[in-house]
Amino acid sequence: MSVREITYGEALNEAHALEMERDPSIIVFGENVSSSWRAATKGLKERFGRERVRDAPITETAFIGMGVGAAIAGFRPVVEIMLVDFGLVAMDQILNQMAKSPYMSGGAVKVPMTLRAIYGAGTSSGATHSESLYSLFAHMPGLKVAIPSNPYDAKGLLISSIRDDGPVVFMEHRLLGRMKGEVPEGTYTVPFGVANLVREGTDVTVVATGRMVGMAIEATDFLKQKVSVEVIDPRTIVPLDEETILNSLKKTGRLVVVDEDYERCGFSAEVAAIAAEKGFSSLTAPVSRVATPNVPLPFNPVLESHLLPDREKIVRAINGVMA
Amino acid sequence: MIDLDVYKETKLALYRTMVRIRTFENGARRLIKDGQIPARFGFYTGQEAVAAGVCAHLGPEDQIGSTHRPLGHLVAKGCDMNRLMAELCAKRTGFNKGKSGPYHTFDPDSGSLGANGIVGGSVPMTAGYALAHQLRGDGGVAVSFFGEGASNQGGVQETLNLAACWELPLVFVCENSSPEVQRMLGHEIDYPQLSIDDVSERAAAYGIPGSSHVGWDVLEVYEAVGDAVARARSGGGPTLLEFKVHQIEGNLEGRIEAEEDERKWCPIHLFGEKLRVEGVLTPEIEKKILDEERAAVEEAKAYGVRSLEPELLEAFTDVFAEGA
Repeated sequence: MSVREITYGEALNEAHALEMERDPSIIVFGENVSSSWRAATKGLKERFGRERVRDAPITETAFIGMGVGAAIAGFRPVVEIMLVDFGLVAMDQILNQMAKSPYMSGGAVKVPMTLRAIYGAGTSSGATHSESLYSLFAHMPGLKVAIPSNPYDAKGLLISSIRDDGPVVFMEHRLLGRMKGEVPEGTYTVPFGVANLVREGTDVTVVATGRMVGMAIEATDFLKQKVSVEVIDPRTIVPLDEETILNSLKKTGRLVVVDEDYERCGFSAEVAAIAAEKGFSSLTAPVSRVATPNVPLPFNPVLESHLLPDREKIVRAINGVMA
Repeated sequence: MIDLDVYKETKLALYRTMVRIRTFENGARRLIKDGQIPARFGFYTGQEAVAAGVCAHLGPEDQIGSTHRPLGHLVAKGCDMNRLMAELCAKRTGFNKGKSGPYHTFDPDSGSLGANGIVGGSVPMTAGYALAHQLRGDGGVAVSFFGEGASNQGGVQETLNLAACWELPLVFVCENSSPEVQRMLGHEIDYPQLSIDDVSERAAAYGIPGSSHVGWDVLEVYEAVGDAVARARSGGGPTLLEFKVHQIEGNLEGRIEAEEDERKWCPIHLFGEKLRVEGVLTPEIEKKILDEERAAVEEAKAYGVRSLEPELLEAFTDVFAEGA
């Protein structure tokens, strides 16, 4: 298997194409999926036909619900909502029907559906085009949530999502689309619930997701001479690889969680709670969180970057738990 | 009305389905009263003609999406009554191991893919069943049941548009249970909920056929749905049908007769009278139908009551495909 460098968006495209080639039950629909400027789905319509790859009207409730139905009826829909914020207009279909139908039916039906959503801030796009919201989906029983932080994981996690027999919310950071990395050409999967130990270290454990993984590595590099930082990318926050986090804590005793989602009741709070409940005896310092404060994201780029986690804030948090 | 085209057997089958629904619902009422079913819920009594007339055109390979008054749809679609009653009793032998209750019943074997606790919630999903038929090219159809209240929901309007754009084999069946007052049944609201007289007027906005019908005349339902289903099966796309219905009182004794003042829109009463005049429903046949359906419902009640509760561990299964 030769390894070459491609972008995150190209990796997603390959995952679609390889899986659609293998399994005719995979269908793709949503907003602008046939567009030539959407790297993840570009060319799929030409290759697999307009029956299997369809642009839907901008009616998220209808087409997400249709995905749930098609999944129950035996297809494997990959449904694209463009930006995760737009999913908010379809919360019944996502949080009630998609998430709960398997449970409510006592397992009589399956919902093998992937809901793809671009998320994330940093482009001065304002409060309805910048959010992360993965904590919201993670909160609802029944949904798995994958957040690839690099091209390799993007391809492998998307293939795992498509093959999963239940619903998956698949989150792609808008600023990672052009990120390049080594990606094998053939088919491979990245399993759910297995964290990636991005950097090994002995002083502090940093748990980061999505684009924040890169930021955490920047902070780690910045502190290289002073602090030995272990960086963990959970890759899926549901299911969450608690074991890797807790084992790391046993070694370091200190935890910083870096999370682009809102701080309150979010993923960062969940990891902190797990550390408090299951890793308390390992902790030698209070847990520190670097998350987006509980305010809507403003349009003004100075205000926006003032709120978002960045290298300096992560460095400060690491120094804080070391003090 | 082209009664001549409808065979005697079809008429008797329609009559039997309506009797079955009412008998089943009265049986469920009894079990609620007796504390064997743990909650009250919405009933379908008075609307039987719609479920019977619709489902007579469907096979198990065709799906329905239902509502939070689902029992009529489920019984008419052919759900096993024992397992349905067991689900209402929240028992492990129910279709969904006692985890759905009436509002979320799924029975894939009969094509009953979801009663739904959210008003209008099943409508987009039903479009997915129709899409699956379109992609497979198997001639199957899906039918989406919803009420006049749900017809105002954005998701329902969105699905009408999407189904029209993609020419899905989908029949929208709106059961309007407040046909005169334009108020939502069971809700004390002062303002009208619809700005039009007939929900089917909305079909024109999406460029699809639409029509409104008397929903307590089972033959009118049967014929209207027959046309819409045939159109959907042949690739002609969706249709919006509205049926005016009136809810009527049920009873705990298992009688199928409506009270005197409700007979003018009781589909069982009206169709029974018609079939007796025609000589189709002889006293012998009528007794046979009533006895058999009553016996089947008694069996379902007994099955539901004697079935076991789910194990406590069952609370944690089916969250994800692999279990917990």
